[in-house]
Amino acid sequence: MKFGNLLKKELRELITKQVIISMVFTLFIFIFMGRIMSGAIDDSIEASSSITLCDKDKTDFTAEIISNIKEDGHVNIKTVDIKSDDYAVELERLDIKNVVIIPEGFTDSILVKKEPAPLKFISEIKTGGLSSSMSTISSSDAVSSIQKQATDAILLKSYGITDKEIERIQAPVNVIEYSVADGKSAMISASDLSGIMMGQSMIAPFVIFFLLLMASQMIMTAISTEKIDKTLETLLSAPVSRLSVLTAKMIAALIVALINAAVMMIGFVFYISGMTGGMTDEISSSMTTSASMGTSVDIGQAMSDLGMMLSVSDYVVFGLQLFFTVAIGLSIALMLGAMATDVKSVQSLVMPIMILVMVPFFVTMFADISTMSVPFKVLLYAIPFTHSFTALTNMMNGNNTAVLGGLAYQIVFFIVCMFLAVRMFTTDKLFTVSLNLGKKMRNKNPADQEA
Amino acid sequence: MGNVLEVQGLSKKYPKKDVFAADGVTFDVKEGEIFALIGPNGAGKTTTIRMISTLIQPTAGDALVAGHSIIKAPDKVRQNITYLPDEAGAYKTMSGNDYLNFMAGLFSANKAEIEKYVKRAAAICGLGDRLKEKIGGYSRGMIRKLLLARAVMTEPKLAILDEATSGLDVINALEIRKMIKQLAKEQGMSFLLSSHNMLEIEYVSDRVGIITKGKLMVTGGVNELKERYQAENLEEVFERVVNDNEVR
Repeated sequence: MKFGNLLKKELRELITKQVIISMVFTLFIFIFMGRIMSGAIDDSIEASSSITLCDKDKTDFTAEIISNIKEDGHVNIKTVDIKSDDYAVELERLDIKNVVIIPEGFTDSILVKKEPAPLKFISEIKTGGLSSSMSTISSSDAVSSIQKQATDAILLKSYGITDKEIERIQAPVNVIEYSVADGKSAMISASDLSGIMMGQSMIAPFVIFFLLLMASQMIMTAISTEKIDKTLETLLSAPVSRLSVLTAKMIAALIVALINAAVMMIGFVFYISGMTGGMTDEISSSMTTSASMGTSVDIGQAMSDLGMMLSVSDYVVFGLQLFFTVAIGLSIALMLGAMATDVKSVQSLVMPIMILVMVPFFVTMFADISTMSVPFKVLLYAIPFTHSFTALTNMMNGNNTAVLGGLAYQIVFFIVCMFLAVRMFTTDKLFTVSLNLGKKMRNKNPADQEA
Repeated sequence: MGNVLEVQGLSKKYPKKDVFAADGVTFDVKEGEIFALIGPNGAGKTTTIRMISTLIQPTAGDALVAGHSIIKAPDKVRQNITYLPDEAGAYKTMSGNDYLNFMAGLFSANKAEIEKYVKRAAAICGLGDRLKEKIGGYSRGMIRKLLLARAVMTEPKLAILDEATSGLDVINALEIRKMIKQLAKEQGMSFLLSSHNMLEIEYVSDRVGIITKGKLMVTGGVNELKERYQAENLEEVFERVVNDNEVR
């Protein structure tokens, strides 16, 4: 009953209107960003299928070329009339970013004169803008297509080579890619696979990063406010055990962290699904291409064959790692918060946790710890949070020893932290130790503060 | 009348400090008595009070609250005391009522009893409908009244009030003093006060203890001390005690 009362109070203290608003806001921002990204990708997909052409030759051959480009998947072919050689003016007049010009005499050069035919490709250079660059890429695809068709025409007309033979000349090798991982192999391209792995394992580090910082800051502010306002003294002079006060604080913070994690996960899923919407299309189109070449690729099956699909037990272990990561962060924050002397010092006290979270976050994002020198490895793995950042990648690579070893280390680390937190809470240290990183470490005698 | 509090040679030395913050402090508080510890800044008042409130451990000595040792049975001690720290705040996100309910819930698991405590506190603090509002919107005086009501609502054997009226205006301070006297007289509640304000102590206390540099120099009734030191008021007594550095 008394513990329930304490827990309820802690939850009320932590789940304020501001916290709820910030959660909703976070969710909204993620969804909104996802929508924006999704819109940008839709635009770029549209741009990638749009080509602007100017056919000045106007022969059956050029008409066939244009029709073939259309069949290649570039559905939106815009035909324009370029009237002068001042291309800057022309692009602006026609409100286009690039154009492929088939000049007069193009067919004649290829089929009659047997000399290189001129083809003009005009692009406007603009910084930024995904759709702009996608449109340039699609136009250069059109240029390649025209070149290929010109070659086909020469081979057919000048040398009498059949369509089938031309196809064989164009693609004499059929590349079938296999990937090997953890002693198993599957028919899937390594680049496709690493793309998928990155997509799957990028959500977790972000969630861990934000969750740790948010949860630590939250409990640190809560405990330091209690100490500064002296509500902690009132609470601890009441007939409740100090351990129950500490436990209530930890559990409440974990509950709030869990709610936040759920909100962030949902937000991230919206964001990532918006961002990767286009990528999925790309993967499925590459799968279709492979299928047409007589090989079928099932990504899920391939990942499963390679032992890269996460099992239920993997998720349980990862969940436990996440739990202990947050619990360690909270216990450290609790101790640091209890050392605060004023509200300002809380801001500086959160620094050690920020460093411990940011270092493994950025290192795992931009580098591979396994390739680093031993001292760096030891230093990084000594930070308990590192093991959660590397967990998913290790699981996918079947490196179970690293995963379970990391979990064991986190459990031991948590026990040590809790032991220290309990010691601090059950002794004078709660009221006698103070720390201000903004100034200097010092022990402060509360007698100095006496009124 | 039995003793509610017996302080026996209570001492405290903080780590990395050469001197004792409290040095062999000995006094007692009887049932229904208002005892005040007075002394300058850093004299050892808060340290002594914190030890009696079981917040910090003494280096030497002991104190018995309603017969329970602060060292051996701190849980029992906490059931018999309430403590109001100097310049204490309350949870700003709670309403006054919620705060009283929360604190009452720490002293009892019985719903009817909790209700009784809250009702009593509401009557004592006189905040009326403002109790429904968030504490974040309260003035300093309102918070102090709420906290004082909280400190006495459970009718503890010993209420420990550190600078009970600090930050209050004259009218509010007078009300609080009257309330303390009334609770001691009518309910037999004992009070251990600490204050800078000699006039307040002179008005409200039955006995005082003058503490300086961690040592309790003298204890006695207000009139008794005035006579002993041939002083007109407690301030003069305090000045002479500190100057004489007399130890009884």
